[in-house]
Amino acid sequence: MFETLTKYRYKLWPDKVFGELLQKRWMENSVTVIVLVLTVLFFTQRINNFTSLANVSDTLREASELGFVVLGMSMVLIVGGIDLSVGSMFGLCNLIALYCVHVLALPIPVAIILTLLAGAALGAVNGLLVGYMRMRAFLTTMVTLILYKAVFDLLGYRWSVAISSVVPDSDAWDFIGSGSPLGVPTVTWVFAIIAVCGHVFITRLRSGWHVMAVGGNRRSSYNLGLKVNRVIASSYCVSGLFTAISAVFYAARLASPGADTGKGMEIIVLTSAILGGIRLGGGKGSVAKAVLGTTIVFLISNGLLRLAAPAGEGRIILAGILLLAATIDIRWAKNRHKAVEEFYVSPSYLALPPSPPTDLDSGSPYAVNDKLRKVEIIGLGMVESPEDVILDEEDNLYCGSRHGEIIRFFAPDHKRMEVYAHIGGQPLGLAFDGHKNLYACVGGMGLYRVTPERVVEKVTDETNRSMFSVVDDSRLRLADDLDIAPDGRIFFSEATIRYEMHEWPTDALEGRGNGRIICYDPRTKKTTTVLRDLVFPNGIALASDRQSIIFAQSWACCVKRYWFDGPKKGDVETVIDSLPGYPDNINRASDGNYWLALLGMRSPSFDLAMRKPGFRRRMSKQLPGDEWLFPNINTGCVVKINENGEILDALWDLGGQNHPMITSMREHRGYLYIGGISNNRIGRYKLENADPNFVSSSIYHE
Amino acid sequence: MSDFASRLKSLLFGSRDEQLSIPIMDGALKPNNALEEAPILCERRGLEDLAVAADGELYAACGPTIVRVGSDGVLTEVARFERDVTALAACPDGRLAAGLGDAIALDALRRDGPRIDTAAGQRLNAVNAIAAAPAGGLLIADGSTIRPYAQWCYDLLEKGRTGRIVACGADGRARNLAAGMEYAFGVLAEADGQALAAETWRHQLVRVGAGAKAPALANIAGYPARMTRAAGGGFWLTVFAARTQLVEFVLCENDYRRDMMRTVEPRFWVAPALSSGEDFREPLQGGSVKQMGILKPWAPPRSYGLVVRVGDDLIPKFSLHSRVGGRHHGVVAVAERGDELFVLSKGAGRILRLSVRQVSEGILG
Repeated sequence: MFETLTKYRYKLWPDKVFGELLQKRWMENSVTVIVLVLTVLFFTQRINNFTSLANVSDTLREASELGFVVLGMSMVLIVGGIDLSVGSMFGLCNLIALYCVHVLALPIPVAIILTLLAGAALGAVNGLLVGYMRMRAFLTTMVTLILYKAVFDLLGYRWSVAISSVVPDSDAWDFIGSGSPLGVPTVTWVFAIIAVCGHVFITRLRSGWHVMAVGGNRRSSYNLGLKVNRVIASSYCVSGLFTAISAVFYAARLASPGADTGKGMEIIVLTSAILGGIRLGGGKGSVAKAVLGTTIVFLISNGLLRLAAPAGEGRIILAGILLLAATIDIRWAKNRHKAVEEFYVSPSYLALPPSPPTDLDSGSPYAVNDKLRKVEIIGLGMVESPEDVILDEEDNLYCGSRHGEIIRFFAPDHKRMEVYAHIGGQPLGLAFDGHKNLYACVGGMGLYRVTPERVVEKVTDETNRSMFSVVDDSRLRLADDLDIAPDGRIFFSEATIRYEMHEWPTDALEGRGNGRIICYDPRTKKTTTVLRDLVFPNGIALASDRQSIIFAQSWACCVKRYWFDGPKKGDVETVIDSLPGYPDNINRASDGNYWLALLGMRSPSFDLAMRKPGFRRRMSKQLPGDEWLFPNINTGCVVKINENGEILDALWDLGGQNHPMITSMREHRGYLYIGGISNNRIGRYKLENADPNFVSSSIYHE
Repeated sequence: MSDFASRLKSLLFGSRDEQLSIPIMDGALKPNNALEEAPILCERRGLEDLAVAADGELYAACGPTIVRVGSDGVLTEVARFERDVTALAACPDGRLAAGLGDAIALDALRRDGPRIDTAAGQRLNAVNAIAAAPAGGLLIADGSTIRPYAQWCYDLLEKGRTGRIVACGADGRARNLAAGMEYAFGVLAEADGQALAAETWRHQLVRVGAGAKAPALANIAGYPARMTRAAGGGFWLTVFAARTQLVEFVLCENDYRRDMMRTVEPRFWVAPALSSGEDFREPLQGGSVKQMGILKPWAPPRSYGLVVRVGDDLIPKFSLHSRVGGRHHGVVAVAERGDELFVLSKGAGRILRLSVRQVSEGILG
């Protein structure tokens, strides 16, 4: 009962999606969006006309003004600095704009340009000190904060009466301050345009990338030849400029030279930027984050005001949010990869049918024996990790190695060897086509080919992307075994799309259908996925009807058959539903049957664990990998099967003294050649009653 | 529900990690191959306990028999019982006391000698160690009042806490020195009526007496078993298996553990074992995967061979090991006779003979 619940819980609830979503960069913004939605919901509940048109318009106007300053601050933060002087600059620029318009009665464009220049100049002072003089950003901008504030007080004292006594009569100025073309405030239009430009700048333009690079790693950027000083200085300049833009709109709207203008602004601005997800310390940030952060902070401070909360309370709440956001920012940056790891591994429910007996006296076709004990050893210590072995017509023996090479042992005695080809990734399954091209599935790389002239060519390393996958699964991660159809199509298995080759135990722990079978068609040069959601598909062999393949699924302990042509095209049938071990490569035998390697044996405790996903998840989190419960791959065997799923023979080496593990075997002229992925040797076993002329690689290509 | 509560607690207070961490073998427990390379005196399945009698003869419990172990390794049967002998001890008066699970034969070599099956008002159940008390009488370790000795693994996975140490006076009056222990295994007499006992599932030695129980040597890297006095002061402590994080983890996982005990054969459980590597259906841990045909000796041990020489001050001085991949695992008994040190590996069914002097010099350098 409880187990049935578990089964459906893991079938229906997509655990793995969370882990995959966490890897996405936009995930961080989505958290902020949720906060925004919650904020809006909260205040609409509390305040009557919070989302009314008038209120939204007012809100937008003020928020956009704040947005400019946040944008400027974000630029500084992305570069890795901080600008505390924005409040003072804002006040000063407001005063300058008002003085130009009210007292000097300059034309509006001239006044605006003068104000913007003043803002840029104020920012440039910061930029000069921090960027070129290499002073500390925090200290420097704090000093300029005080300095600008002092200048603001002096000028304000001198100018404010003059400013207040004149009311300018300018439609343009009013339009800037309170116009709403198409119902949206002027300032919002301008902000939107600048935000879009900013986004394009940061994400698409070279200089924007320089900004991100300098923030990400100053030294590397310097070594790369970027003008680090200039980038830093200009970011402060931009901050000043944006503050001035904001001040112009503010001046036009309120026409107030108040002594408190811009006081405490840096706190709100910083809160907005960090809440939006712009990292303190640089290298991460975007315009979208700045906009989101601004909106949230503005809604909160505005909402609190409307709720008639005392001014101090609002400040405390904002300060609290800043503290929280900064803490989360630091913790998240530090622990993100851990969180991804936590959520990425998501075991599923996998109930295997009972394991057939293997006991010596059980009468089972799998009964253990010592037939493989007398196996001859080839190349002991000369080769590491030969996952698959294959022989050509001239009896030369080929195998992969973990150094990324294909090794050739020379006929007739296989005592001498050479590196036949260097591929770079570990070759797994091997197959010859009719033109003596050697095809290899290469872990981490894809499907490769070595021509008779020993030229290494990439055949394919990607397939079509699945429609509904969260992550891009078009790249081949773990191509495993292959076989070639009579028309030249290559069918190969990809064991898992979620893990790298050395992480196979984690895939075993998940026990989910993470793998697929892929077809490469040399006529169209197209690669397509033909079967997906398979549990570690491994060995593949062309069946006798030449219209189907027989394939093994390792962790599911079963062998299936898939028709790619003919009347049963598209069908999948089970050949063997329960093996006592984990099947690996499949290859043809000379008598028309198939050799199947079992790379490891099932153990009851692991089988039980496969039915307990929660147990495995906790195990993967709480124990180091060396302590995990594993499928037992220290003992394996070779069995001979036919297309009806009958077991015809089993070859064991129980102690594993001579040939510790088995992942593949290849029959060739009366012998069985055996490979193993964690071995340092190749085994050779004399077969009784086998066709002495059988060459596995040529059977379908004559 | 309790599962959930403990999980919540561990989430909040992080106690789970602490439960899962195990001490590493370091210092006096630094691994060596002394046990693995030790000369084999004799080999027979079912060897269980050792005792050197007052006359200097070495006796061993083996299956349902008691055998005399000759210096040449020849085993001579001297007594036979209707069931397995689970403990053996030599008394100063020359008699041998033998534990028979739920009874004790006080004079084991005599047919129809006196027996006791009840002590301190409670039936004996899993007598697994006996020691002679200095003032005459016996100290008895009764591992569990629920599970027989052969089912010690059940007791571990059921988190048994019914072990007791009984002091049986020369006059036949018995009293519990300690009860409710998380398995009682070895026992050793101390001065003033106290005793040292192994509380195995808590990986510690405790000093028991007068109803009080105090830790004496805590946080042992394995499961402590029988102890034997050593000539130079202190004692030899056998540790029949080493701890692994996986077993500690499974002990926290009630659901998995219950299902495993219900559906899986005991020899394939995720649990410490006396020997391993004989069947591929045994559980395998990541570190135990053979690479290039070699099983790493530092792989997580399903079974292990370990004897610790503990000093008078209860501080381990040195230790003898048979590491992962070795044969001499599951050591449950040690006997010392002059310079000879006999080590009984139950896992391999062997008695090993070493020289105390050579061993201590070899390891301490």
